[in-house]
Amino acid sequence: MQFVISKCVAWGDGKTSTQDWQQYAQNLVTQSQSLPLPTLTQMPAMQRRRLSAFAKITLHCALEASGDYQHDIASVFSSRHGDLHKTTKLISDVADKEALSPTHFGLSVHNAVGGLFSIFTKNKAPLSAVAAGEDSFFMGLVDAIAKMQRYGYPRILYVYSDQGVPEHYQQYVKQQPDNIAVALLIEPGNNSANFELNFTSQIPNLDEESSQLQALDFLRFYYGDSSQLTIESKRFNWSLSRNEK
Amino acid sequence: MSDLSTQVKQLIIETLDLEDIETSDINDEEALFVDGLGLDSIDALELGVAIKKEFDVKIDGNTDDSKKHFYSVKTLCDFIASTRA
Repeated sequence: MQFVISKCVAWGDGKTSTQDWQQYAQNLVTQSQSLPLPTLTQMPAMQRRRLSAFAKITLHCALEASGDYQHDIASVFSSRHGDLHKTTKLISDVADKEALSPTHFGLSVHNAVGGLFSIFTKNKAPLSAVAAGEDSFFMGLVDAIAKMQRYGYPRILYVYSDQGVPEHYQQYVKQQPDNIAVALLIEPGNNSANFELNFTSQIPNLDEESSQLQALDFLRFYYGDSSQLTIESKRFNWSLSRNEK
Repeated sequence: MSDLSTQVKQLIIETLDLEDIETSDINDEEALFVDGLGLDSIDALELGVAIKKEFDVKIDGNTDDSKKHFYSVKTLCDFIASTRA
């Protein structure tokens, strides 16, 4: 699958600007555990007040990457866990027989952030929400590229985000607990593709999941100098290559 | 009565994450929804749950009566006080 990335916006622990990510790709910054939150001043305070950290970092990237196209661009939102901190709070309220918060309930579904994006931008274009285990970043990207090609879109917005899981779930997840949101403005790569993505099934499947977050591997590659990125997951072999400019 | 009014305002601010608003910014007689404070239908649901929890009152869904009770801080206080009478 060939495609062009015309804009990339990412937000993570201690890394919020292009310069931060470039330094990250050069291994110049040490991992910071604190997650600053974007101000999202473009959003009215009455809408902004209900946003969780997960929603804030995801919406920031989605709005910045889609820019002038945000009102009518089709999009794919991917996340392995979604807003699990919110969901966990609801589940413990159920267990404690507490009344559930209607707001939290409404915003805990997997496509909630995509919904918030479309409400704020008044965007009525098709939008889908994807979850694909440890392969969520790359499978969501596959979905976005496939949709763009199939429907002949001039461009599509791809957004991926995840947070470290709440304490209750930590023993079940091997993946590193980073907070990360990344949004890509993707265009068809007819004659001038700058990336090519390929994947094959892992046969037989590996015993263990990878501890690496694919989105962070991608960002290290995107802002770095190497021409090829290969990643093994439990079920797939991913290969992303960059064409010489 | 004014104690109850402050308590209701505090509940509204905390429940609905109204970050930059103080109890003194909310007028007792002013509309809570759409005009006035500018709350929306999700806030109405959220506030309903919070009032039920905090004051142990029963609210009948989306009826004309409940719309009247939720008009302003004053109507809410009157409603809560009436259930205690």
